[in-house]
Amino acid sequence: MKKRIEILLTAGIFLFTLSCSQDLPLDKDLTKKSYKLINQDSMVVDFPEIILGNISVMGFIYTHCPDICPMTTHNMYLTEMSLKKAGIEDVKFVALSFDPERDKPHVLKKFAEIRDIDFKNWTLVTGEQSVIYDLLRRFDVRAVATDSVFYDDGEVSYSMMHTDRISLIDKEGRLRKNYMGSRINIEELIQDIKYLGEY
Amino acid sequence: MITLIIILNLFFPIDDNIKIVDPWMRPNAKGMASALYFTIENTTETTDTLYKVESEIAERIEIHETYSSGDVIGMREVGMIVVEASSSFELKPGAHHIMLMKLKQDLKEGNNGDFILHFKNAGEIKITAVVKLK
Repeated sequence: MKKRIEILLTAGIFLFTLSCSQDLPLDKDLTKKSYKLINQDSMVVDFPEIILGNISVMGFIYTHCPDICPMTTHNMYLTEMSLKKAGIEDVKFVALSFDPERDKPHVLKKFAEIRDIDFKNWTLVTGEQSVIYDLLRRFDVRAVATDSVFYDDGEVSYSMMHTDRISLIDKEGRLRKNYMGSRINIEELIQDIKYLGEY
Repeated sequence: MITLIIILNLFFPIDDNIKIVDPWMRPNAKGMASALYFTIENTTETTDTLYKVESEIAERIEIHETYSSGDVIGMREVGMIVVEASSSFELKPGAHHIMLMKLKQDLKEGNNGDFILHFKNAGEIKITAVVKLK
């Protein structure tokens, strides 16, 4: 009888563990290759070094985006606020621009400042176009310039068609789950962070 | 006389024409883009069309919609928004919006911006939108 209970308990724990890991469907090691990026302060930073040791929430944006990327950024901001209320302050937030042509470091900094983003937990990164595109491929994120507009002063502006994405990365630099950045269920992300961090 | 007007208005309400409800826009820095959102309430018996938006706030203003294909999102100009009679149309995040391109000033939370909306039937409607961080 005792043996049977032990078997049932073991099976229960196994099934519980399995169901939890199914909630985080990905396990992609992002540490196999490093990428030199530039942050909002024009400092060269290494990815994944900037995220290792902390759970990270990574959003993919471009700052000239009027509708979707601000929603993605704001959803990350709301996630940070909710985590802080719960006493969780060691989660890192990274916003990667897939528009390095226009998103220079000072542009990223201004974009963040106008949204009251706290650089203690946030890093906004840009970089060489080839490096950015290589990194985007690691995340299966697509971004391509679409409609162009010419202003009177000769400046060209363009929109971008892109993957709507926020990604959750664990402390070891493994991609664990992707979400729709603009339409994410913030509570789901917070639960996943709590599960990962065993908070 | 006032009593007569009130009574007449009770039985024959004045046509409210087009109402613009809760106009707001997103924050962003000078030179970048933002979006303006609001709800158009058409209480008339005829369809109306928003076809142009003007403001000193941005270098260029267009009527846009956001569309998606799987998890990929894009944006395109639509030129106009048709609001059927006795109905409303909501411009909202992830859908139709007024795109403000190359902002002439920083838009920070709480700032205001004036706009003129051009409708085919209702003509010009002036609104003031507030910047909201959401």
